Amino acid sequence: MRHSPGHRHSLHCILPPYLAREIAQNGSAQQRAYALRTIAVDTTFRAMRLVRSGMPQATRRLIPGPMVVESQKQRTIYDVKNTQALPGTVVRTEGQGDTGDPAVDEAYTGLGATYDLYGEVFGRNSIDGNGMQLIAHVHYDENYDNAFWDGERMVFGDGDGDLFNRFTIAVDVIGHELAHGVTEHEGPLAYFLQSGALNESLSDVFGSLVKQRLLNQTAEQADWLIGAGLFTDNVEGVSLRSMKDPGTAYDDDVLGKDPQPGHMRDFVSTWEDNGGVHINSGIPNRAFCIAATQLGGYAWERAGHIWYEALRDPRLRSNSSFLSFARLTVMAAGRLYGTGQDEEKAVRDAWSQVGLRVSRERAGEPVWGPGAQLPKQPPQRPPAH
Amino acid sequence: MRIELKREGGVAFFPGLARPRSMETGELPPETAEAIQRGVSDARFFEQPATVGTAARGAADQTRYTVTIEDGGRRHSVQLLEPVEEPHLRALLELLKKADKEHRASAHAHPSPGR
Repeated sequence: MRHSPGHRHSLHCILPPYLAREIAQNGSAQQRAYALRTIAVDTTFRAMRLVRSGMPQATRRLIPGPMVVESQKQRTIYDVKNTQALPGTVVRTEGQGDTGDPAVDEAYTGLGATYDLYGEVFGRNSIDGNGMQLIAHVHYDENYDNAFWDGERMVFGDGDGDLFNRFTIAVDVIGHELAHGVTEHEGPLAYFLQSGALNESLSDVFGSLVKQRLLNQTAEQADWLIGAGLFTDNVEGVSLRSMKDPGTAYDDDVLGKDPQPGHMRDFVSTWEDNGGVHINSGIPNRAFCIAATQLGGYAWERAGHIWYEALRDPRLRSNSSFLSFARLTVMAAGRLYGTGQDEEKAVRDAWSQVGLRVSRERAGEPVWGPGAQLPKQPPQRPPAH
Repeated sequence: MRIELKREGGVAFFPGLARPRSMETGELPPETAEAIQRGVSDARFFEQPATVGTAARGAADQTRYTVTIEDGGRRHSVQLLEPVEEPHLRALLELLKKADKEHRASAHAHPSPGR
């Protein structure tokens, strides 16, 4: 695939002939429309995935989900009524109006905004790319200070009212939880050490994009905070994390001080928090923020595409390090927007500002596949932290 | 009975909340102490495995508590992943969280001015 220099429109991504045929023969008008709108369809990548998965018979998987499955939001919100008795009672389903319960309505809106980001920007039909229902459970337990993704659904507490407000209040936290689902389907990235911190960072990245898109903010305008509004007035702090300035989100008597580093020299080695997954995520978070700000405009347009493409790269391993992910983003930037273009430079520069050097020759190396010509080079050394 | 409660995980890492909390039942209000004694025996705490509940594939941001109890020469730790399914263990964890919160509040006469 050749990229014309300076060509920035992602729709130029190719619709392969077999797929066009498939859709022309079998697709509805809407599917054809989706096919045309779908972005980041990279046939080479799909082929790579198949080769790697060892499932040559799975030809159907060559057809991207959004083109064969009607894109349709399917949201269901359950009220657990301040118990732990999941799932609770269905209180709002797709298409129903506001209930007047903020937790229910925020969850519904947040799931929708997240679905829309993935659907309209990345051409992805829900979490699994195949129309997976979006399910949230609100009012979990009493005074419950958390929101989590259990692998299939989201669960939100109301907060204790002393330190935390209800966890649906922050739309980026909703996006964050759902993004864990996407990472699981595309990665996965083991929830431990650097790969776990990458997993966390990707959730912050896409969670933040959900919020920025909902507020129609450019990278420059966005606050890059995660979970603003979650703290009560009792807390000295603005949010759970700051992507722009990791380590500055809170400094409070009870919560302690935001432990996030924003540079590899401050990387925290710990066995707590699954090896610092919510701590060291500050480093890739800041890299994304720098890249998006450098590129300007809406962060989901170019930086977001690049990160999404890197997440979908079949070379992403479940134990990937920051550096290997950084390389994938640089390669994705070159692939999407042209080698040597501003995008690639901005991404490479962003990583170097957080202490991760992606060397020029390594970034473009063809790494995959049977029969691929690998350039001769010394064995890869571990990153110099 | 000496109890240590350690919280880990959740949507963010808060150093202040991650510090292990210790309580002596002797320092707690008698009815709380009694409820905990009962809860420990109802949950058969000392017979529980070291970890209860495993995270599903792809799960994230779940809270995990490590409960350590010393009583009459015995000492045992159990790691509990929320949501805790087993009702007695869940009830015990709730009791301990509540007791810790009250303990903390009385110890620090919270909230302090200026917060």
